[in-house]
Amino acid sequence: MSEQKNQRPVPKANRFVETEAFWQGTKQGELLLQYCPDTKQFQHYPRPISVYTGKRNLEWRKVSGQGVIYACTIVRVPGPGLDDRLPLSVVTVELDEGVRILGNVLNAAPDKVAIGQRVELAWDALGDDAQYPGFNLVEA
Amino acid sequence: MSKDSVVIAGYSETPVAFKSGRSAYDFAGEAFAGLLEATGMAKAMIDGLSVTVPLSECANPFFAVYMAEALGLSPSWLNYGGIGGCSATGGVARAASAIRDGQCEVAVVLSADAPSTNWAANYGAWRGEFQDPVGIMGPPAAFGLLMSRYEHQYGLNYEALAKIAITQRKGALLNGNAYTKLQKPLSVDDYMNSRMIADPLRLLDCVMFCDGGNAFLVTTEGKAKELGIEKMVRPTAYAEVTNFKGDDPTADITETGFSQLAPKVFGKSGLTPDDIGSFHPYDDFTIAVMMQLEDFGFCPKGQGSGYVMATDLSYQGELPVNTGGGQLSAGQPGLASGGLNLAEAVRQMFGEAGARQVANTKTALVTGIGVIPYARNWGASAAMILEA
Repeated sequence: MSEQKNQRPVPKANRFVETEAFWQGTKQGELLLQYCPDTKQFQHYPRPISVYTGKRNLEWRKVSGQGVIYACTIVRVPGPGLDDRLPLSVVTVELDEGVRILGNVLNAAPDKVAIGQRVELAWDALGDDAQYPGFNLVEA
Repeated sequence: MSKDSVVIAGYSETPVAFKSGRSAYDFAGEAFAGLLEATGMAKAMIDGLSVTVPLSECANPFFAVYMAEALGLSPSWLNYGGIGGCSATGGVARAASAIRDGQCEVAVVLSADAPSTNWAANYGAWRGEFQDPVGIMGPPAAFGLLMSRYEHQYGLNYEALAKIAITQRKGALLNGNAYTKLQKPLSVDDYMNSRMIADPLRLLDCVMFCDGGNAFLVTTEGKAKELGIEKMVRPTAYAEVTNFKGDDPTADITETGFSQLAPKVFGKSGLTPDDIGSFHPYDDFTIAVMMQLEDFGFCPKGQGSGYVMATDLSYQGELPVNTGGGQLSAGQPGLASGGLNLAEAVRQMFGEAGARQVANTKTALVTGIGVIPYARNWGASAAMILEA
């Protein structure tokens, strides 16, 4: 048995809408989000249509992964898959592309994380050689 | 008031219990029987039924139909309300529309749930891929994020949140329907020392999932009088919004749907915040109460802390708020939650609140909140003004 610590479940793709591109991106260390070319806006989480136009004209585009912490909390109560992760830094990041994404800050103690800090994309190990997008403070 | 005015002509509420071992049907039956008893109305008069989707039975898509069977009703109008804590006031508003449309004449708006006994909900959708891995397993983490942003933009005095919790707890001490284990006084120290759940959200900022039920009779004034019912209140204004700012990817998450609803309900009723006899805001978390005080104009946006510290929110105060303890201190009966706030509003206006009776029974304002979306403010908001 290898180390148990990071054996977090790998989410099932495509259960809600087609998300294959997102998961392929994670394998290459790239964050791909849904993009509406008609309005030149990203949307996240992914939807079955563009929430801006109502059309299914959607693409997946790579984002920089750079942004600013918009909101932050520290999850302290146990839950499924959280056992060895508490206390856990949970943040809403406003990406420079003008879209928000929920994530974890990986390179700092949760109490060092604050609104307004710059972050950049980082990767958090899941089980089965998979990884999930998270963030590092630029000035940790 | 005209004979065609739609009225709430009765209410009933079960005590709130924790891990009762009972089902939503059983609580619904208790609330329903209580409503018949309170109004003296024969079951056969009921031709409309609104049922709230419960966490404990939502795996059954025919729950509302099963409920009609369980209660022996054959309604000509049936509504199954899936907007969570907005479903009770929303059910009353939909019943009013159905009555005006002639689809029914005497409707019961029924909410019952028992999630502390049986949890049947599975939200599915995007959550498995985009929310669960981040560690947001439920509303507390989402409210921790919301509070952090509110604090960043406006400042937040935790003593004000403590005061909301403590004041509502005093109301619960006078409410025989409040969950018994919550019927003990709170101090500021109790609040401050309660454990952090999702910073800056503490345990005593949160509701506790419980079991319970409530029911309301909705009909016309003329029909109610024909049935020999004397006590009634008019829902004179109602507004709701779902997926508020849903197409704005960088909306200010401290802005709630109520900012849009407040001008609508005050405009329609012709009332102002000063006219509100008692306020019954949906209170899943203390910050929600504070934000609604701001959104409905009891104080300016961002000044909730100062307003709460300077204002007596008890049943004797300038603005009585959730006088029976609200959900925070009576316990949250699952998604029957919105009916708890509504029942207290109607009870106060009927003059039946006993030791916690408010002086001004002419008006009340009741709200509902439903669902916490991805990285935004709450998704559904509903507001109703009641007038004597």
